Amino acid sequence: MPNLSFRGGDLQRWAPLLVLVALVVFFSMVNPNFFSLKNFARIGISATPPLMIAVGATFIIIMGSIDLSMEGAVAVCAVVFASIFMALGGTLGGWGWLALPACLLVGAACGLVTGAVHVGLRIPSFMASLSMGFVGIGLSLMMTGGDRIRVEDPLFRSLLTQRFLGFPLMVHVAFVVLLFAWFIQSKTTLGRNFYAVGGGEDLAHASGLNVRRVRIAGFALAGVFYAFGALFAVAQLGIAETATGYNFMFVSITSIVVGGTALWGGSGGVWNTLVGVLIVNVINNGMIVMGLPRYVQDGVLGLLVIIAVVLSTDRKSLAFVK
Amino acid sequence: MNLHNLKKHFPWMTLVLLALFVGILDPNFLRLENLIDLAGDISTLFIMALGITFVIYIGSIDLSAQSVANMITVLATLLLVHIGAFAAPVCIAIGALFGFVSGLVSTRFKVPSFIATLAVGGIALSVGQYASGQKALYMDATLREQAFGWMIGTTAGLPREMIIALVLLVVALVIERRTVLGRALKAIGAGEPAAVASGLQVNRYKMIAFAISGAFAAMAGLLFSVKLSGGSPVMANGFLLPAIVAVLVGGTPLTGGVGGVLNTFIGALIVAVIRTSMLYLNVPATAQQIFFGLVLVGAIAITIDRTKVRTVK
Repeated sequence: MPNLSFRGGDLQRWAPLLVLVALVVFFSMVNPNFFSLKNFARIGISATPPLMIAVGATFIIIMGSIDLSMEGAVAVCAVVFASIFMALGGTLGGWGWLALPACLLVGAACGLVTGAVHVGLRIPSFMASLSMGFVGIGLSLMMTGGDRIRVEDPLFRSLLTQRFLGFPLMVHVAFVVLLFAWFIQSKTTLGRNFYAVGGGEDLAHASGLNVRRVRIAGFALAGVFYAFGALFAVAQLGIAETATGYNFMFVSITSIVVGGTALWGGSGGVWNTLVGVLIVNVINNGMIVMGLPRYVQDGVLGLLVIIAVVLSTDRKSLAFVK
Repeated sequence: MNLHNLKKHFPWMTLVLLALFVGILDPNFLRLENLIDLAGDISTLFIMALGITFVIYIGSIDLSAQSVANMITVLATLLLVHIGAFAAPVCIAIGALFGFVSGLVSTRFKVPSFIATLAVGGIALSVGQYASGQKALYMDATLREQAFGWMIGTTAGLPREMIIALVLLVVALVIERRTVLGRALKAIGAGEPAAVASGLQVNRYKMIAFAISGAFAAMAGLLFSVKLSGGSPVMANGFLLPAIVAVLVGGTPLTGGVGGVLNTFIGALIVAVIRTSMLYLNVPATAQQIFFGLVLVGAIAITIDRTKVRTVK
């Protein structure tokens, strides 16, 4: 696992985990109900979809780019999945299972298009992805006409309803997907190439890497993880609609940065993102347990992301920032 | 005249061609009353786009404008009951403050502007939801008439909101063309390292640009809430994309330095014509978003100055 030790030492590397532990201890002291398997399962459920989305976006941030298209991509994936699923019988027991790979393919396609627009037209990724995100939201609205698609198949919903070791199945599945992401990150050429591009694009290019192809592949890969996020979000609510994607952009970017993956690329990874997602969700859950209203979250997340970016930035190395 | 010289004439040529195209589809479109309605409807969006222009002009971006406007619709409705017409300056000051904080975070802490404004936008969203109790609020009709009656209605056949927008355009134009601030922003947009090297207080001017954007977003929110006689934390949703499209289609590139508020004026009119033409062509409202997203990509790709971005991240 790559680390940040070359700038800031071990403390900076472990800081996110320490913050997570400190938060858990704090909320447990404020309200003992916080520290219970039941509450942890609740945190696990709420953390699962954003974890998938944040893991996907992590690859892109490692490359030094950014993706703001997840709300649109998730909405498209969720709606396409639900439409195919219902058209094929509406149950995983029948041909409905085909909707699962189809959803992942749609996710990859969304990412591929965003990546191709960013690389092909040579426009900054934050604007390319923001625009494509708007396009995705429009697409999903067109497909649904603004309606909700209900997905009530008990077999599919068992991701939420069936529990194993106290946690719903979706948490376990998400952990397997996380291991898969870790495998890609550390054991494959593609994963290494993400770090190479993020660490220094010129150098990566000079050493013969096809940087453009790596970038597009990164966006497509992220799309697959957005599709996983969409699947879990649909399983959680039993509903697929345009709003399925709402709020994921802010939460996932915050989680990644809070977890210690620097926006400049070349460092961090999926384990950092796991810690970041847990920090964000523990704070959200803790605020609810403490009786604070839900809408304080956006404000707190806003402050968090600023603090995290500030702490993770080696400002001497930056001449100026746009 | 080569292609490069022609490029800066693209925006108004696009506007004229589009207007003629829609005019051929439906001759009623080119009637004066219709054109005035069109311009009136786009006023709020245009005011927000005016502010964003200053930030894009220096090569940054403001993604918080919509959230700030949302928050202001709520605050304006609440403040109206207590302080009447003074709600206006207070709202504008709050907007400027939020913009200033974005600028502060972006310059002092070196957080990229899209993240800084996204974060500040999150805070604004929170404030709006907190203040409104997450429900839609309504203005008292008498109070609204007393304090802000002058913002609505028509003068000499022109909608007041359009007149307000034009006055603000002139103010923005004076800032851009006739003040030290305007010159400084131009210098920063044209080449930030050179501006720093020549002793300009770059960070200070950048913060002011963000504050201007926040103030204009607040004015847009205020006008919108008076127009709809109420406020809600989601009222201005759907403003951000067309506002940024207006700036970029007008010819101010993402890399800054050229273009300006007059370009945004043309850009906003292009957005208005596109919207109307979609009504004529029976394109559903949802598809508009897809179209504007693609237009945004196209406009960025055409206008961006690639000599300024060495590696495109």
